[in-house]
Amino acid sequence: MPFSAFLDARRQDCRDLAAALQPQFSYVTVLGCDVRARAYRADRNGSMAREGRGERGFVLKLSNGKSFYEYSLDDITGDKTALAGKILKALQTDPDLYRREISVKLPSDEPLKQDFVRETDFADYDDQALLGVCSDLSAELVGKDPHVLNAFAVLQPFTVSKLFVSANRELSQHYGWANGVLLVVYRDEKMVQARVGADGDHLKELIPALRGKTDAVLDLARNLTRATPIEPGVYDVITDSSITGLIAHEAFGHGVEMDQFVKDRALAKNCVGQYVASPIANMRDGAAATHSVASYFFDDDGVLAHDTQIIKDGVLVAGLSDLASALQLDTAPTGNGRRDSYKRKAYSRMTNTFFEKGSDKLSDMIASVKHGYMLFETNNGMEDPKNWQIQCTAEYGIEIVDGKLTDHYVAPVVMSGYVPDLLKSISMISDGFEVIGAGFCGKGYKEWVRVSDGGPNLKVKVKLG
Amino acid sequence: MKTVKELLEQNASVDAFRILEHRIRSYELFFVHQSLETVRATDTADIEATVYVDHDGFRGDSAFAAPESLSEEELNEKISLAVRRARLVCNKPYTLTRGESAPCVYLDTNLNEEAPETLARRIADACFAADTEEGGSINALEIFLDREETRVVNSLGVDRSQVKYRVMIEAIPTFTRGGESVELYEDLRFSEFDPERVTGMIREKMREVRDRFSAQKPQTPLQTNVILRAKEISSLMEEFSNELNYASVYAHSNLHALGDDLQENAAGDCDKITLTAKGTLPQSVFSKAFDEDGTSLADTCLIRDGKVENYYGANRFGQYLEIPVPSGNLPCLRLEPGTLSEDLLEQTPHLECVSLSGLQVDLYNDYIGGEIRLGYYFDGKTKTPVTGITMSGKLSEVLRGLRLSERTGTYNAYEGAEKLLLRDMQIL
Repeated sequence: MPFSAFLDARRQDCRDLAAALQPQFSYVTVLGCDVRARAYRADRNGSMAREGRGERGFVLKLSNGKSFYEYSLDDITGDKTALAGKILKALQTDPDLYRREISVKLPSDEPLKQDFVRETDFADYDDQALLGVCSDLSAELVGKDPHVLNAFAVLQPFTVSKLFVSANRELSQHYGWANGVLLVVYRDEKMVQARVGADGDHLKELIPALRGKTDAVLDLARNLTRATPIEPGVYDVITDSSITGLIAHEAFGHGVEMDQFVKDRALAKNCVGQYVASPIANMRDGAAATHSVASYFFDDDGVLAHDTQIIKDGVLVAGLSDLASALQLDTAPTGNGRRDSYKRKAYSRMTNTFFEKGSDKLSDMIASVKHGYMLFETNNGMEDPKNWQIQCTAEYGIEIVDGKLTDHYVAPVVMSGYVPDLLKSISMISDGFEVIGAGFCGKGYKEWVRVSDGGPNLKVKVKLG
Repeated sequence: MKTVKELLEQNASVDAFRILEHRIRSYELFFVHQSLETVRATDTADIEATVYVDHDGFRGDSAFAAPESLSEEELNEKISLAVRRARLVCNKPYTLTRGESAPCVYLDTNLNEEAPETLARRIADACFAADTEEGGSINALEIFLDREETRVVNSLGVDRSQVKYRVMIEAIPTFTRGGESVELYEDLRFSEFDPERVTGMIREKMREVRDRFSAQKPQTPLQTNVILRAKEISSLMEEFSNELNYASVYAHSNLHALGDDLQENAAGDCDKITLTAKGTLPQSVFSKAFDEDGTSLADTCLIRDGKVENYYGANRFGQYLEIPVPSGNLPCLRLEPGTLSEDLLEQTPHLECVSLSGLQVDLYNDYIGGEIRLGYYFDGKTKTPVTGITMSGKLSEVLRGLRLSERTGTYNAYEGAEKLLLRDMQIL
């Protein structure tokens, strides 16, 4: 599928609208968004084939070196002078607030014109093919085990087209990603839900990967029916890549989003150059850091994608910034300015966040645990960058006794504690590596963006409850 | 240009349709400390059309976005694609909500009485008026002032609309002393602006964040009664109501069914849960006059005296479950108060949770817990602020000894018992 024809047809409108606002504002940018999603689902009761969560519209960002002004709208055709007047009227500020306006440098507007494209194979798969995959998978799961009450198979490919226009820059990007999920509702000794997923930007690889997980999701469901609550305590823990990513994301990632530095909301602001983790820990984030769901070419401020090393050998070296926070901190933006949609503000946000792999073998890591748990699959997490407390929930864990994984499952498992204690407890890091591109991340309780996270297996000591 | 409604009406392949519109005009202020970082305004519309096609004994449906920037040709292409998709979708037949046209409903508000930039500034002033505590500060403040117009139209005569105004405030009260600093998170939502109430609520949070600064981790492990406040009670009740939705029941994902007793073998002094799903609550920005199908909302008691009495939900799944008159998708919850008095509470050792990372409830695994960022531990004599601890318990067991306060409170889409006591939770 090519870059959005809708946005292509609005290039001149973007330029004209920016020009119409330039008499009032020294820095004017227009971001056009056209995100198209498809959603397919089948279960034993029915099916679904429809458009998924997309967006189509524009957001303007304006600056005169004081407060930023933004305006979101669905289309920008028509008389630009009139539209500029409407925008300025809508952005009127109460005069009592003038004295509260910030002062910052004007954003840089280095000349650049470039079109970025990363191909997908989504156009090779029509509705019938994708719904057929879902129907087959659901029927297969229901047919394999009489304890399956229902089985959902979901495929959701989406493509992103964005156009960024300023006085000196005109950038476009087009890429896509897809997620697949199998979810089983299972009742034996008790009722449980088990879930597995696959993601990527080529369905020819994603679909076989999902097909290959039907036995795994049923095995997981059977094991979860026997899961018991965990005895609360502090344990040696081995993480799978999903839980490693959850730690990277919740324990530390949110704390280095630099709009939190501006607001004095992150303890990490005072820890740059200090040990915050075990000396064997290295952590990165960036749209250009790996290939996953958040691998865009430029961010929603028109800043090119970065690969940012956050922790190097246990030392905090850098944070993640959007344009506004970088200007307030007098640093260079890192390409982490992201919006929930064109309707919402840009904040400093994570992209693909992960720990780098180490040199340990997973088998050696498990063998090193006298009594503990291996944790699997992210359920949810909540950050607390100011006070560095975390709460992360894993879908399940498997008990390790005398260096061996047992068949004792525990669920759910809530990890909590003080972030530096957790990160400094990392004692082994595996040589495996996986990034999972199936996540959504909120800022507080809103502003959802797609993210990936992951890494190798970690051995840590943490409170489980 | 023809509208999507006209084009859908003219398309012979479309057996039925529904159009759902949300138009939002917003004015937003973003403060860093007390400095104005960003001013935003939006004027956007989400228009979603769903086509229904009857085929082979099934009813297929497919939805698509129909922004006003689409040309007539593009709209027709989208309709044709949706028809093709709907023919692939095999769902049990059902009928759409029938012709309920009504005048536009305007939900009560005082937020439309002045210009948005003036109102937003007054809201900011009300928040900052609470920033008087020595060592205290509001490190970030976001104000969202929205006018939302919702309209539902379908091919069976429904044409209903509703206008609501709402404010959402996100504030970060912070306390700093000697280079050490802690914060809490506060979000307020309201449809009636009362400056004194807003100032009072932020001031209360400023007091609590000061307490978080001095809070200590208590000696653990500890086993004690835990008090949840309205925010967390709301979260717990949502867990129960979500699984009693017609859609969950039809999908076989509900753990509890009609007649099941959630509090079987309850202790003698246990307060039984009576939970009602409602369309509106006074001053709640979540209130609705009708749901996304245009169905009128009928308040429905889901759980009475601990037993599941009814399911609730949308028209389609209600028909599948052979509910004579589906309730509509009810957005709000009311939990009847209980017998726990303030006097009794003052005699009972407990840990009152003020701020949690998020209440963790897993019905399948019979679990309730969460990380406590600020709590007040009352040992029967003195009350001390505590932090850095995690609570956990077996949900079915704590429900059997549950107590609900006499006093009522509200939080977002919840009203009812202001406090809920969970007996003998483990604290680590």
